[in-house]
Amino acid sequence: MAAIELTNVSKRFAGSSAVRQVSLSIRDGEFFVLVGPSGCGKTTLLNMIAGLEDVSEGEIRVDGERVNDIDPRERNMAMVFQSYALYPHMTVRENMAFPLKLAGLRRDEIDRRVTAAAGILELEALLERRPRALSGGQRQRVAMGRAVVREPRAFLLDEPLSNLDARLRVQMRTAIARLQRRLGTTTVYVTHDQTEAMTLGDRIALLHEGEVLQIGTPRELYEQPASLIVAGFIGSPAMNFLPGRCTAGRLELPVGPLAAAGVADGSPVIAGFRPEHLHLVRGEDGQGDGPVFAARVEVIEWLGADLFVYFDVALRDFEAANLPAEPGVVPGTDARRSLVARIDPGASLKEGDAIRLRLDPAHVQLFDPHRGACLAPGGAEH
Amino acid sequence: MTGRVAEGRPLERLLWGAGGTVVVSYALIPVFWIVSLSLKRSADIGDGHFFPRRVSLEHYAAVFGDHRFSAALLNSVGIAALSTLAAVLLGMFAAYAIVRLQFPGRRLVLAAALSIAMFPPISIIGPLFNLWRTIGLYDTWAGLILPYMTFTLPLAIWTLAAFFRELPWDLDRAARIDGATPLQAFVHVIVPLAAPAVFTAGILVFIFAWNDFLFASALTSTGNARTVPAAIAFFTGSSRFEQPTGSIAAASVVVTLPIILVVLLFQRRIVAGLTAGAVKE
Repeated sequence: MAAIELTNVSKRFAGSSAVRQVSLSIRDGEFFVLVGPSGCGKTTLLNMIAGLEDVSEGEIRVDGERVNDIDPRERNMAMVFQSYALYPHMTVRENMAFPLKLAGLRRDEIDRRVTAAAGILELEALLERRPRALSGGQRQRVAMGRAVVREPRAFLLDEPLSNLDARLRVQMRTAIARLQRRLGTTTVYVTHDQTEAMTLGDRIALLHEGEVLQIGTPRELYEQPASLIVAGFIGSPAMNFLPGRCTAGRLELPVGPLAAAGVADGSPVIAGFRPEHLHLVRGEDGQGDGPVFAARVEVIEWLGADLFVYFDVALRDFEAANLPAEPGVVPGTDARRSLVARIDPGASLKEGDAIRLRLDPAHVQLFDPHRGACLAPGGAEH
Repeated sequence: MTGRVAEGRPLERLLWGAGGTVVVSYALIPVFWIVSLSLKRSADIGDGHFFPRRVSLEHYAAVFGDHRFSAALLNSVGIAALSTLAAVLLGMFAAYAIVRLQFPGRRLVLAAALSIAMFPPISIIGPLFNLWRTIGLYDTWAGLILPYMTFTLPLAIWTLAAFFRELPWDLDRAARIDGATPLQAFVHVIVPLAAPAVFTAGILVFIFAWNDFLFASALTSTGNARTVPAAIAFFTGSSRFEQPTGSIAAASVVVTLPIILVVLLFQRRIVAGLTAGAVKE
C-alpha cells in the first residue's frame, strides 16, 4: 500500500502535450478516479504511474520515493488493462501465477496465493481453462485476480469495465468497490464514465485536454463544480445551462428573473442548474420563491424511480454564444435551448402536455461565459 | 433475384471446378511425371508412356548406393536447418525490435532488408566466389549458410514483423508490469504466441535454402558442402551413352518429399491463430 504523489507531471509526444502540469496526491488506501472524455490524457497519466511511459517533466513519488526512472517491474504495482491482456497461451492458474513466478516465490506460496485470490474472485472452477474459453466477465475477473495475487502497493485500473455489457458492468462495479474496501489497497481507476467515477471514487480528478480541472469528492464535483466543463461532465442527465444577465442584484434568465448576489452588474453569465432543481408546479399554489415558467413536454423518460422531462426554452434576446454544446443538437438552432427536469415519477404526464415548472434559485450556479470559471456556486451559498 | 442465384449456382460451380482442375493439373502433372520417370526401368525411360508399365526401384537403389548422394543429402539437411535456425532466431529479435521500439530509421531497416532480398543473386556470385576462395569459406557449410542468410533473414523479418504487429501491445505491457524484464516478456509471452508465425517463417526459409541451386553449384566443389540440387547436376549415367534421367528423377523425388511432408504436417499449425481470447473479440 502506498501514497502516490504527482508534482507538475507533463507528457509530450512529438511536439504535442498529452498531459500538462498535473499535480495530485493520492492517499494511502484511497480509491482515486481519473475521469474525463477520451483523449484527455488519463490513460497516459496512469501509464506514467505504472512506468510504461516516461515522464517528460515533473515528478512521481510513491511513499516519498521518486519513481520516475524506476523500471515498471520494480514498482510493484498491478495493472488491469481495458483489453484485460490475459496471456492466451496460459491457463487461468498460470496467468495468475505468472507475476509470482517472475518474483521468484516458492511453489507452495504461489499455490497458496493463487488459491486465495481465486476464492475471492470466484475463479476456482475456471483455473485450468484458457482465456479464450472464458466469457467477458470471467476474463475481467481473471485480470483482477492477476492483480490481486501480487499483493501490490497499488492497483492501476484502466477502463476495466468498458468491454462488458451494461448489466455486468454494474455488478462488477460493485464487486470492485467491495474488493478495494476489503483489501484497502491504494487504487487508481481510469474511466470516461462519470457514473463509474461517482459511484467508485473516494475522490475524483477530472481531466480535460491533459489538464486537471478539479479534484474532489464526488459530492464536491457534483455540487460545486469549478467550471462549466466539470459541471457539464458530471451528472446524468447533464446540468442545464441558460444564458443570463446580471442587473441590480438580479439575475435575468430566459425563464424569468431571480435574486442573485455577488456578481458584477451588466455582465453576461451562464446559469447552470441540475434537472432535480426544477419542480413541477400544480394548480395555482406557487409556493416557494424562484421563477415559474410554462413549457411543453417534448420527450418523457420514465425509469421507474425517476421521471425525466425534456422541453425547450426560447432564449429570446439572450446571448447564446459560449453555451456548452448540446450533444446531438445541430448548431444554428440558437433561438431555443433544450432543458431537462427530474420530477416526481408519480406525475402522470404525456408528451405534448403543457406544464409549469419552478426553478429553485438556491441551486443556480453562475459561470463566466468566456473563461468557463464558476462565479457563484449555488449549492455552497445556501 | 433468388431465381438468378439458383440459376447461376451450377454454372458457378462448374467454372470453379474447371478452374481448379486446370490449376491443379498444371502444378501437379510435372511432379507426377518425375515420380513416374523415377519408377520406370532404365530401358523404359523413353517409352513415351505416362505411367510406368513395370514399377522398379532400381534408380532409388542406385541413388542411395552412391555415397556422394548421401553426403549431399546430409549437407542439404544441415545447411538448410542451420540457416533456418539462424534466420528465424535473428529475425525474431530484429522483427520484435522493429515493431515495438521507437528508433529512427526503423522503416529504413525494413526497406533495406526487402531490397537486399530483391537483389538478383547472380550478380553477387562472381565476387563471392573470389572472396570465399581468399578467406577460405569456399566449399564449406558456412560458405553457403552466410549467403543464404542474406536472403532468408529479410524473409523472416518481414513475416515475423507482420505477425508481431498483430499481437496486442498490452500483452508486453502486462508482462512488464507483472515484473518481467523486456527479455522475459519476449521469451515467456511473445515467443510462445508467435509460434505459428515462427513455423511459417521457418518453413519459407527452409524451402529457400533447400531449393537453392545457384549458390550451391557455384560455391562448392566437393562433397564437403555440395547440396542435393547441385549434386544432381553432377550425376552421370552408367555409360557415356546413357542419360542419367532415372537417377535424376529419383533424386528429385527424394528431395521434394521432405518439403511436402513438412508443409502438410505443419499447415494446421501455420494457419491456427493462438491469439484468440487475448483481447476482447
